Amino acid sequence: MKKTKNTLMAFLACIAAFVLIATSAFAAGVGKDGTIVAKKGKATTIAELVAMYDSTGCIDCHEDTHDEWANSAHARSVYGTGRTAATMKTALENGVLSWAYSGAESPEDVEVEHLMGCAKCHLPQLADATDAVAKEFIADIYALMDAYRNDDEEKFDDMKDTLLSLNINCLVCHNRMAITHKWTDGYPQDGTVYGSSDGEHEDEAYPHTKVSPIMSESIFCGQCHGLGPNFELDNPTQCATAYGSYLWAYTAEGGTETCQECHMEKSGLGHDMQSYRSKVMSDAAVDFEVEAYGAKWRDGRLVTPKAIVKVKMTNRTGHAIPDG
Amino acid sequence: MPMPQKMGRGDEMGRGPYEKSGIINDTGLPPGKTVEEHFEIPFYTEDVTDDNDRVIERKLMDNTLELNVKLWYLPYGNKQSDPFIWQEYTQTITVSE
Repeated sequence: MKKTKNTLMAFLACIAAFVLIATSAFAAGVGKDGTIVAKKGKATTIAELVAMYDSTGCIDCHEDTHDEWANSAHARSVYGTGRTAATMKTALENGVLSWAYSGAESPEDVEVEHLMGCAKCHLPQLADATDAVAKEFIADIYALMDAYRNDDEEKFDDMKDTLLSLNINCLVCHNRMAITHKWTDGYPQDGTVYGSSDGEHEDEAYPHTKVSPIMSESIFCGQCHGLGPNFELDNPTQCATAYGSYLWAYTAEGGTETCQECHMEKSGLGHDMQSYRSKVMSDAAVDFEVEAYGAKWRDGRLVTPKAIVKVKMTNRTGHAIPDG
Repeated sequence: MPMPQKMGRGDEMGRGPYEKSGIINDTGLPPGKTVEEHFEIPFYTEDVTDDNDRVIERKLMDNTLELNVKLWYLPYGNKQSDPFIWQEYTQTITVSE
């Protein structure tokens, strides 16, 4: 009897050991412990979040690229023209705080998850921060709006600078978002800049470069420029739909160009990725032909002169215009 | 312009991203396709009537018309908020006198 009991215990111990080994060797997300957030820990303040993805070290060697980027909407993805930040406040008040089951009734209740409807694309790195950062972020947007209403220029500029420090910068694209299929290609690792080559990189904090398999593919941009409703969220949002249109109305009709080919290469804009506000983009986007002439319509003895106007518009882009 | 569906249900349009889920209608320009619009714009005329108020003649007041065609993008759905003229075309149209 004693022998049987010992055998059973040994068997159970073996199973436990196997489960332990299997868990550590094959847990979902091998290499997840090497990401920037895993190495540095979640940010607890906006300043820490900015420091976590600080890309100012890139400027020394990549000044032209940085200057291009600085002119793009990516450089002010949260502040925008002021309207983006204002819309986030509207989204909070008319959305999250008004919904019966969101779990947030006032700005003080806001958690990271409540903001991911906007932050998924406007500030994806917010997912690498604690709820304290979500509260600080919302408080800063309220402070910005209050300062605007009260003509408090100093406070307004202070808040604007804080919100401008949160953006889609070098490390967000060339590290955090550089790999979509992480179980296939591995998790983006701290200390590595992802781009077009493998090798050494002259930067103390980021001494390695690695190929991002998607950096020149449309799917890279599609991570934010949208399929439609974001079903991964508990309360789906919808902002951009360009990538959905690209897949189902452009490539499905034989289109072959990538986002990067039009917005970065053919446009000559590089990292200053623009849309319709850039003349080079708006001119290239739509062929606009007008044919007009005078004619006289006759109804009995009455003659009615008219201008006949025929307008032809051809969308030359790889997605519907406008998007949204 | 896409007309996003409010919360992915019914016939009402949603405005903010937090409401939008789906598209009810889209009057935008699809990729790779040509969209044609046809307009007929009357010249300025004045009708001449007889004693019985019957229109007997339509007098052309000016045989030229300044045509201005604009392709607008209205991000907020109206011309008060951040309107953008994508393309513009002008031409003087004439008819015989």
